[in-house]
This record gives sequence, structure tokens and C-alpha cells, in this order.
Amino acid sequence: MESYNTLNQEIIDELRAVSDHVLVGSAINPDYAKDEMPIYGTHMPDLVVQAYSTQEVSDVMKVCYKHSIPVTARGAGTGLAGGAVPIFGGVILDISPMNHVLGYDLENFVVNVEAGVLLKDLQDDCITKGLMYPPDPGMKYACLGGNVATNAGGMRAVKYGTTRDYVRAMTVVLANGEITHFGATVSKTSSGYSLLNLMIGSEGTLGIITELTLKIIPAPKATASIIVPFKDLKTALSAVPKFKMAHLDPQAIEFMETDIVDMTERFIGRSVFPKQCNGEDIHSYLLITLDGSSDEDLDEQIDQFSKVCFDNQAMEVFIAETPSQISNAWAARSAFYEAITDEIKMLDECDVVIPVNKIAEFIPFVNEIGAELGLDITCYGHAGDGNIHIYQCSNTMSPEEFEECNNKFFDVIYAKAVEYGGEVSGEHGIGNAKMKYLEESIGKTNVDLMEGIKRVFDPKMILNPGKVCHRL
Amino acid sequence: MNTDIWIYIETENGKALNVGYELINAARPIAAQKNSKIVALVVGKNILKAAQDAIGYGADSAIILDADVYASYSTDAYAEAITYLINKYDPETMMFGATTNGRDMAPRIACRVSTGLTADCTDIGIDEASGCVRWTRPTFGGNLMADIICPERRPQMGTVRPGVFRKAEFDPSRKGNIVDETANIHIDPEHIRTKLLEHVDVVAEAVNLEDADVIVAGGRGIGSVDNIHLLEELAEVTGGTVACSRPVAEAGWMNHNRQVGQSGKTVSPSVYFAIGISGAVQHTAGMQGSGTIIAINSDPEAPIFDIADYGIVGDLNAIVPALTKKLKERKM
Amino acid sequence: MNICVCIKQVPDTNRIKIDPVTNTLVRKGVPSIINPFDTYAVEMAAKLKEECGGKVVVISMGPAQASKALRVCLSVGADEAYLISDRAFGGSDTLATGYILAGAIKKIEELEELKFDLIFCGKQAIDGDTAQVGPQIAEQLGLAQATYALDVSCTNDHAIVKREVDGGYDTVLVQTPAVVTVVHTDQMPRYATYSTRCEAKKKQVHVLSSAELSELDLAQCGLSGSPTRVVNTYTPSVQKLGIMIEGSSTTELVDKLVGILDDKRLL
Repeated sequence: MESYNTLNQEIIDELRAVSDHVLVGSAINPDYAKDEMPIYGTHMPDLVVQAYSTQEVSDVMKVCYKHSIPVTARGAGTGLAGGAVPIFGGVILDISPMNHVLGYDLENFVVNVEAGVLLKDLQDDCITKGLMYPPDPGMKYACLGGNVATNAGGMRAVKYGTTRDYVRAMTVVLANGEITHFGATVSKTSSGYSLLNLMIGSEGTLGIITELTLKIIPAPKATASIIVPFKDLKTALSAVPKFKMAHLDPQAIEFMETDIVDMTERFIGRSVFPKQCNGEDIHSYLLITLDGSSDEDLDEQIDQFSKVCFDNQAMEVFIAETPSQISNAWAARSAFYEAITDEIKMLDECDVVIPVNKIAEFIPFVNEIGAELGLDITCYGHAGDGNIHIYQCSNTMSPEEFEECNNKFFDVIYAKAVEYGGEVSGEHGIGNAKMKYLEESIGKTNVDLMEGIKRVFDPKMILNPGKVCHRL
Repeated sequence: MNTDIWIYIETENGKALNVGYELINAARPIAAQKNSKIVALVVGKNILKAAQDAIGYGADSAIILDADVYASYSTDAYAEAITYLINKYDPETMMFGATTNGRDMAPRIACRVSTGLTADCTDIGIDEASGCVRWTRPTFGGNLMADIICPERRPQMGTVRPGVFRKAEFDPSRKGNIVDETANIHIDPEHIRTKLLEHVDVVAEAVNLEDADVIVAGGRGIGSVDNIHLLEELAEVTGGTVACSRPVAEAGWMNHNRQVGQSGKTVSPSVYFAIGISGAVQHTAGMQGSGTIIAINSDPEAPIFDIADYGIVGDLNAIVPALTKKLKERKM
Repeated sequence: MNICVCIKQVPDTNRIKIDPVTNTLVRKGVPSIINPFDTYAVEMAAKLKEECGGKVVVISMGPAQASKALRVCLSVGADEAYLISDRAFGGSDTLATGYILAGAIKKIEELEELKFDLIFCGKQAIDGDTAQVGPQIAEQLGLAQATYALDVSCTNDHAIVKREVDGGYDTVLVQTPAVVTVVHTDQMPRYATYSTRCEAKKKQVHVLSSAELSELDLAQCGLSGSPTRVVNTYTPSVQKLGIMIEGSSTTELVDKLVGILDDKRLL
């Protein structure tokens, strides 16, 4: 077991000597104690450094390494697995002030950014240049450094892949303060172990990312969003693999049922999705984005797509063509999480990922287990890549009761996901919250390997201790 | 040729709306430079006093239309009557308040006399090159300002936003001629093709932050639900709507439908008071498009000051009530 | 119930940003959309058609790419679409635009062999923001008008319009034919479906240029027909002032702030 030191005045002074942006005591905003899922635990740091440069991060790490002070990197604090919560106290290194887009290299189709740039800011900036940064995780106000540290996914993953596919290179500050670079602006490489890929998804446990080189692509010329209603979820999900088989490549395929749609429409105060079709009630939807290289290409895709839908018992195919209809439909989808947290008192979440062809049987199983335990279950997610967001909800149980049922639920559901050939987290990460399930799903050997690798990167184990694979 | 500047004074139930008096004052610098007279055109029922007041607020004279047919606004009656007067008197310039009714009738009248109308102006002046009135207005949703003139046709017409200009101090000693044109215009009832069946006042229950012109927003710094009234009182005196940042909604001090920010609403009022709000990016994302941001926070390092136009470092519990009190006094 | 809906294709002004270096509008990457108020006008027309029968014709004055916007309307309730397009119409202010559209409407009544009972416009276009074209079309055609409509219902010779006014709404009876400008509808504009889209694709957007609209006096179109002229455009200053108000007492701070509020006419 590692031993860490606590901060004293001497160390604080050393930190003040290398950084102008040190906060202690009551100057620390209470938000630093938590991320977006406080249910996984909160803990205040002893000191916060708001870093403005790689050098500053390096200098701070040198001090912390020398004195064995735990350090937790933090971006916008929007994580969903407790990854940015400093459970050992110590120092939070907040890199969100490093928020500059450093420049585009349009010959190599990459953009260089500081790790604190918000996803939304990069996405918007790209659009003005006719470009697109494809990864589209749900939380748009997250820092890219955090996105990379969790290999964030998002709705466009089914067509474009995840964050991992778009990271070319990065600048990393190691535990001892050394500054190093991983990767290169190339699209393929076979040059030693991929340290770049180790860092992606390492959730602040191997090093601190301060700069990134990200791949970008030309923005699609035309997009349309389609809402496909079905009589039930099983039918809706069964249609999903048929799209790929028909050589259609939607940018996003989301599934949802009327329960979450109703909750969200109450929340945003607006009705966005049709509830009935030809006199019949709709119970489930697929929400899809198609993009094309031209209006004609898109037209053609919509035609083919609609045929596949009708062949698979879609009740209708609704096409959102005006930007406001498209953005309303997706804004509603993006508001699902807020809607749930607004209405539900006790809440936890399971973001398993399973093979696409197993979703249709998995969801009814999930609902069954939930019902047995007395939990209200809401599911929605990325039908196209098998990453489901399951929410265990209760407005009636006591916190103790909920915790008990919730833990039982996790045990069963994660085991089932693994049985189906899936994994514990599709995109939110392991953080603090899912460590137990990681070992259960990938086995002790693999977690030992992970922890071993961490020791090489961070011999004193001061980087984000107690997370991912660092068992205490 | 007549160089008069006509200001349309909209009335309701015999009482003038402020915007008419505001425009009289707005026209004064132009009238002075061009050596023109300001004529108030007052239409309605029992509006003689409103016309007298117009002179007290700076008009040099007034023309009134005072009859049952004008008691309630109708496009046809008003357009017909006002067109008659424009043709009779041939004013150089004419301004309307950009109210619902103003924006209903002004384009109709402008078309009838075949002249240029500039809508919803936020400033007026004189275009140096042409000597005409220069009308300034926002376009592209406020992203681009345009200066517009009407070089040839007459009258030069514009509708001007209420509240942009301030009315002058009332001067009861001012004198001016009031001409009653009512008897000279006979509106054939057959010409009035609309009829008001019912008016319903709606008490706004839904919180409408997106349309608010002034927002008074509170953050974690307000400390407790007991201090919300500070925001409400400031909102009342400024005609604003109360809003909050996420921690306040999460703490249950305000309903989340008042939340501004990335997981709440995006707003762009003319004035945004950020009170006890630190300025985290998740909040500023929802309000950085505001016209003028005024921040009050006890922490001089709060990031809100980076995006504020005016900032006060201090105790909001002292400053906000003092501000409210001072604004109330000014109003009276 | 035959309805003509006037629409305009505009840049999405919610997405327009200002280039901080050149201080000009960044239009690249900003999509062209149907003016949002017009989408409600189309929806209102489609709904009325469902209730009362009749034909919905959608028209737009603009360059060739405005046909795209017209096509979308064909899949959400419009039966026919007309693009009014000619170089001679470019540069028109609202007076000239109203003149041209009124002339086009009369021509379309001839071509379609019908009379319009209602002419819908969106309340205002989000680029020009004038809200003048609707009433000016009404004046050109000599029709009654009802502005700021939230709801319209119809009988043979009149329409009942619910109008948004300050503090509430008015219910107004309007003699038809009439021009109505629309703020929004209760329900969101409907989605196109695969079948409405297929139907729409079979239709053609008819183009009317000055040749077809031979009755129009070209001197009243375009720049020559526009009494107003833009002499200058500029972006409003977006720089945050960052002025910290200093003072040694609450009273002093508040006095200074109120002074600024007054001075800058902020409230």
C-alpha cells in the first residue's frame, strides 16, 4: 500500500513558487469535490492548481512527485464514473484554463489543441471551416483532455468511431514532471509499443495530457435526421443490424422508448416526437442521422434507408429536414439524462456495451431483473454500436434500500453483459465506480497487467490513486 | 415643403403609451439641426390630455383624431385616417413606436403613400452625406447593425423600439397649437374589415427566459433560499426575470426552469445581472451572448469578471438591496 | 380554403458568429434554412387544409437555391411551389418585395385558376427582421390583414384569428380574403414522411421570372423600386468592457452603477 504525504505550508509555498494560480482552503469551489455522478463519492482536494501551460503542469508535478502528494487531473468535471474525484485529497491539477485551439494543419488534416479546449468549441470552430471533428460524446462542455482520458464515445461512434480513432499525438506530463510526446501526425505506424493508445482511456492514471493533435475530416455536405417509430423495442432493435447489411452507414443510430421521450418532453416543455402513427400508439423509436456527400447522395440514402425500415416493420419514416427540426430532435435526445436526474431521486447508471445483435434480448432481461428488484429501469442508447445506457431509478426507496438493490442489479447485469461477449463500460470509463466490475469482467491477470503498467509510468502511484486498476 | 417631424402617439383607453413621448425627445436633436417642428399625432378616444401632455414633453404642436371609431385600434381605420393626414400635410419625417400596433400599421401606411419605412430602430440621427434621417437597426438577429436612409420619397418613415430613448422632463409651461382633424375624416364602417371579438390577459406562468430583456440571475453565492427575494426585488424594479445557475437549481432554491447554462437555457437579454455567480463555463455558455453583463461577487478572482462589462467585488447582501432601492427611487 | 404561403430562405442567424479579427459576419458553414416563422406559417396552412380542404401554394422570392426550401415545403403540406426569381428583383427593399410578391400572387391565381382565401407570411424574416412585407403585400392587394397570429380558423367569408399582443392575446374577426402573419403554432411543424417526400419529388417547382410576371413595372422592382437604401453596416461591439466599479462604500458603488445604467440607457 502506497503512503502519501499531506500538504504542509512548505509544500504549498513551493507550489506557489511555480504557479500563480494556487487555491487553498475556502477559495476552493466545492464543485472540485465531485464530478457529474456524486453518487460515486465526493472528496475535496487540499489544493487546486489552475494550470495555464504544459510547463506549469510539469513544475507542479515535480513538486508533488518530490513530496509524494497525490495528484488528480481535472478538466470540466463532467465525468460519470468518479474519475476526477480526488479520493485521497492532495492536489487537483485543473487544466481547463488551457483552452486554446493552437492551429489547423489542413495538409495533414489535423488540428492541434490544448487539452482544456471544450468539445463544443472545437466542433463549432471546425464547422465554420467546413470541417468536422467526428467524436460526439453527449456532454458538449467537456474538455478534450478528459474525452481522450476516457476514450469518450458518443452518438456518432457507429459511423465514425470513438475518440481513440481521432487522436494522432499528444503532449504528456509524467508523474515526475518530465514532459514527453506520444504519437505522430501519421495515419499508420508500427514503431514500438503504442504508448499513445495506452494513454487513451487511462483516466489520468498514467500521465497528464496537456496538448493533443486530433484528426479531422471534411464536414459532410448534407445531413438529415430520421425518426422511425415502432410498436415495440424488440422490433426496433431487430431492424438495426439490417442497415449495415444493406450497406447503409448512418452517422448515428439511437434507440429509445416512449417513457424517456415523455419524461424529456415534460422536462424541456415541448413535444418533439410524434406519439401516434396512423391511429396507432408508438412505443419505441430509432433516431438516426444520415450524412451524404451531396443532396442527391443523401436523397438516395434516405430512399434506401426507408425501404429497409418498412421491410422491418417500421410504422412510418419521419424525416427531419430543416435544421431546427434536426436540432430539436437531437436536443431532446441530449436532454434524456437531465430529464431523468430532474425527476428521479435515487439514480444510478450502467453503460454496458454488448455486441449489437444481442441488444434485442438483453434489454428485456434488464427490465425483468429491474422489476424483480423493485427498480424502475429506463434504457436508451447507441443501438448502432451496442452501447446501452441503463438507468436504475427509484423515487420510493430509501438510500440504503436503493444501494442494496442497485448493487445486486449491477452484479447480475454486468455478468450477463460479459456472458454475451460485452464489456463493463462502453464510454464513461471505470473511474472509481466500476473497478470491482472491471476485475470481474476481464479477470485478475489482465488487471494485474494494467496495474503493473501503471507502476512503470508512476512508481510512486501519485497520479489519480485508487482509480481504474489501482487496487487499494 | 413641410419640414415637420411627425411623432405618432399611440394611445390606449385615452392614455398615451410612453414610447410616443420618448420619440418626441429622440427627434429633438434632429429637429434642432434641421430647424424643423415636432408635431405629435394623437389618435384614439378622449385623448385631448394626451395631446396636451405631448406638448409638455417637447412637441411643438399636435394634431388629434378623437372619435369612437378610433377607440380601439383597427388597421383599416387608422391607416386610412393617417394616410389622409399625411397627404394633407406632407410631413418630412414620421416616427411610430415599434409596438404591436405600430408595426401593424406603419408598413401599410408606408406602402399606401409609396415611401420607405425602416423598422424597429435602435438609434436615429442625421446622415451627413445626404442630410436625411439616418435610421439604425439590428439585422441578422442582432449580429449586424445597418444604417438606412430614405433619400427621395417622403415622408421618411421609421418605427423605433420602445425604451431606447428616454422621454424629456415634463414642462407644463410649454404651449402649442392643437388641431382637431376628426371632423375632416369620415371613415366608412364598411372599410373596417377586422373586428375585435375578445381580449384576454394572460398571466405568464411559464417562465420565459429566452425572450427576457433583463435577467437577474443568482448563483451559489446568494447563500440560501431565504435570499432569493433579493433577486426578485431587483427583477421587479428592472422589469427583469429571475434566473439562476445550476447549483441553485440543484439545491432546490429555484425551479430548474429558471436555470441558465449549458444544462439549462441559453439566453441573450440586453442586460444580465450575474449575482453570486462564479462564472464557470457551464453557466457562461448559456448567457455570454447577453448585451451587457453586470457581475456582483465577493470573490475578485471569480471568472465571471472575465466576461462581465461591469463588475463589483462586494457583498451582494448589501449591494443588491441598495441597488434595488436606488432604482426604485429613480423611477418615482 | 385556398392558401398561399410566402416563405423566405435565410441564413441561420442563430449560428452566425462574428470574426473577431475582421469584425465581419462569418457566413461560412452557416446553413440556409427556411425562415422559422415561415415554417409555422406552412404548418398552419397545412393544418387548415386538413380541416377545410383546399389547396396550399407556397411561394418564395429569391435566388435559384431557394427552390430547395420550397421543395421541403412540398413534403410538409404544400401542394404547389413557385419560385419568383429574376436578377431584376435583386436588391429589393420591403416595398419592392411586397410589390413583386403581390404581382406574383395575382399571376399564380390565374395560373392555378383559383382565388386565395388567405395569404400567410411568417411574422418576420430572421435576417431582415423588418416584419413589413406581410402588411405591404396586403396593401398592394387591397386586403385586410391580421398580424402576429397564433391560430386561425375559417368559415366562408371570414377568418377568426388569435393574435399575440402585449400581455395576452386578442381574438379578431377578419374578412377574407386576408393576409395573416404568423408567429407560431401550438404544435411543432410536422415532419415529412417517406411517402410525402416521394410525392413531393414528383412535383416541379415552377419558376416565375419577370417574363412570366409581365404585368410588373420593373421600375418598381429591385434597387430602383426601393425607397430605402443601406448606407452602412457594422458589427455591434462584442468586446466585454471588463470595467470594475470601485468604491469605498456600498452607497458609492451603487451610485456609480446606477449612473452607468442611466448613461448607457441600459434599463
